[in-house]
Amino acid sequence: MASEVNTKFLQDKRLDRIASDILRPVGVDRSFLIWMSSLSMLLFVCLYAYYIQLDKGLIVTGMRDYVSWGMYISNFVFFVATSLVGMLISSVLGMMGYKWVKPIGRIAEIIAVAFSAVAGIVIVSDMGRPERLAYVFMFGRIQSPILWDVTVVVTYMTLSILLYIFTMIPDMAISRGRIGHTPVWLQKTYEFLSFNFQHKPEQYKILLKAVRILLIMIVPTAFAIHTVTSWLFAVTTRPGWDSTIFGPYFLTGAFVAGSAAVIILMFVVRNSYKLSRYITVELFDKMGKLLFLVSIVYFYFNLNEYLVPAYKMKTFEARHIIELFVGEHAFMFWSVQLLGLIIPMILLLFKSMRKPVPMFIIAIVVLIASWFKRLLIVVPTMEAPFLPKQNVPDAWMLYHPTIVESAITVGTITMAVMIISVLMKLFPVIPIWEIAEEESAHPDQHPVE
Amino acid sequence: MILKSTFFVVLNFVAVVLLAQTTPWEVPADRSAKLSTAAFTDQNRNTGKDLYQTNCKSCHGDPGKNNVIKLVPPPPDPATTQLQQNSDGSLHYKISEGRGAMPAFKNIMSSADIWNVISYLRSYNKDYRQLLAVKPAYGGEVFDKVDLKLTADPTHNAIVAQLTGLKGSLVKPIAGLEVKLFAKRYFGNLMVDKPMDTDTEGKALFSYPKNLPGDASGKVSLIAQLSNEELFGLVRTESTMAIGLPTDRPPLNEPRALWNVVQKTPIWLLVTYLASVLIVWGFIVLALLKLRAIFKLGE
Repeated sequence: MASEVNTKFLQDKRLDRIASDILRPVGVDRSFLIWMSSLSMLLFVCLYAYYIQLDKGLIVTGMRDYVSWGMYISNFVFFVATSLVGMLISSVLGMMGYKWVKPIGRIAEIIAVAFSAVAGIVIVSDMGRPERLAYVFMFGRIQSPILWDVTVVVTYMTLSILLYIFTMIPDMAISRGRIGHTPVWLQKTYEFLSFNFQHKPEQYKILLKAVRILLIMIVPTAFAIHTVTSWLFAVTTRPGWDSTIFGPYFLTGAFVAGSAAVIILMFVVRNSYKLSRYITVELFDKMGKLLFLVSIVYFYFNLNEYLVPAYKMKTFEARHIIELFVGEHAFMFWSVQLLGLIIPMILLLFKSMRKPVPMFIIAIVVLIASWFKRLLIVVPTMEAPFLPKQNVPDAWMLYHPTIVESAITVGTITMAVMIISVLMKLFPVIPIWEIAEEESAHPDQHPVE
Repeated sequence: MILKSTFFVVLNFVAVVLLAQTTPWEVPADRSAKLSTAAFTDQNRNTGKDLYQTNCKSCHGDPGKNNVIKLVPPPPDPATTQLQQNSDGSLHYKISEGRGAMPAFKNIMSSADIWNVISYLRSYNKDYRQLLAVKPAYGGEVFDKVDLKLTADPTHNAIVAQLTGLKGSLVKPIAGLEVKLFAKRYFGNLMVDKPMDTDTEGKALFSYPKNLPGDASGKVSLIAQLSNEELFGLVRTESTMAIGLPTDRPPLNEPRALWNVVQKTPIWLLVTYLASVLIVWGFIVLALLKLRAIFKLGE
């Protein structure tokens, strides 16, 4: 992000074209209502599953004495992981001066807001007595990584929401008088969210300063959120979790999941909103290269995480490694490693694979695989406790998620999709003012029409 | 080498297990023939039940339900013939002395309480008829009350237990009876010196080690008890005396530590956590103030 804004873009004719392009899909239309109603119905079914869990307790899940962390915790790690991409795109790449990230900065922020908000809800789904949530704040121990995790999740969510709102202020002001086709309540919301912005140079100056503060603060917070999530596991001595590289291992894995999520939304915006002029084929190519970069770093950490214990084969670690490589979880393990990491990496080396459609398919597979990867991090370790499992029912030995807990998990994913849908459909999904400023600064590259 | 030693360890373990399983538990004849001097009443059984719940249930389970803990050899369920075929004296001996995984309860429960437990165990045996022991008398003499008193004699490093019998207004020393002295501690008391017989003045002298650990001011809780419970019932006295070494050990949860309660958070962690939270949220507030400034500029 530049330190100064050249406000001459406001007089540029290109602004009208950009604003009308980006604001065209904004609003409540028939297809949006149908989409949201279907999601609401699905959510309603899942809420019924949650009602069953509230009524009967966690016994309706597949979790028992030995495996007390299952799908919910894996899902939580997945949500936290995916939300980190907001920091990677807007903060790290944006502040380093990569201009190509401008059109997708807001998409990344939307993912950050939706996934970090739902991550908090996912954690509550893992509580048998959710009404005791306040106890975490009343009686929480500062020594416990669980309290650190609660702190950073709340902080990261706040920063992501603020960053989303702050960078949208000039757009809200630009949209005045241009969104006559939308409901009045939405226009009022725009008016409120413009915070009296009049495009004064002083206002831009203060805004950029505020955004810069948020962009800088979000980097350590994002690192903290996922490192602390990894510490929930790594501060124990259990095989598979007792690892010194768990922090960076989780972080790099997070960037893989997040980049895939951004690519999926880019494809949706490009095709459903007909914004291919801004979400270009070259942008997909760049994101393909980014996905390759984060994947190869993640591959490197996977190599360390599995090869080093597999070379030593210490008693308990060996049992865990064998379970993953050739045992109970081998099919899922190798599917995730091949489909979610190695094959995408090889495919992304080819330029023809970095086109929108193949990238969309690759991103979907990578995102699904990264969900299962979190399950593989949580469950097999819990199934191999240090104490011998004696005199317990056979069903307690291994973890088998139930329909109720799967439905609740689907419900949390539905919630995230609903938040993303609302933010993408009711507000400009591409930053109008940043694109207009960029085009006006390089008039030769961007013809007026 | 490792294989060989592992083999021997396993072999040893198997041998010990087999031995424990096969060797019958020998009880000396005089102990086996011993009987309670008191008849088992409902009150005995209820006391026995409470004691059983506290001390025995964790291994022997609920009588008749066969939910004993899985040990080798398995502890018998009290309702089974395996246990009930023992004579009263044998049960008393086995509970008192213990063997292998079965702890010795002689210093944990009084002899009378062990009889109470046995009376509870016998309630699961319909065929049981209690045989009573004849209450022995002390040299034909009967006392209204028998008293045991403890006094310290620090100059000689000695504790004196004085055994006296009261008969009307007459106070008479009781000689030739064995007294045991214990220092109180968690689970099972520590015997101090050997069991001593009272002399003609009714006094038993115990010498105690100088390094006996006491509380913060060196106080030790002492218990003296007449070994023979059949003569006068349970004769026991407790007294706290400053004869030990003062041990002022802070409680384990005293220091600031990661595992302690939130009030005992290590300072470095408290500072790091609060500083991080304050810095980030401080900047969030700063950003919000800038939003206010933008709003004001637009008016």
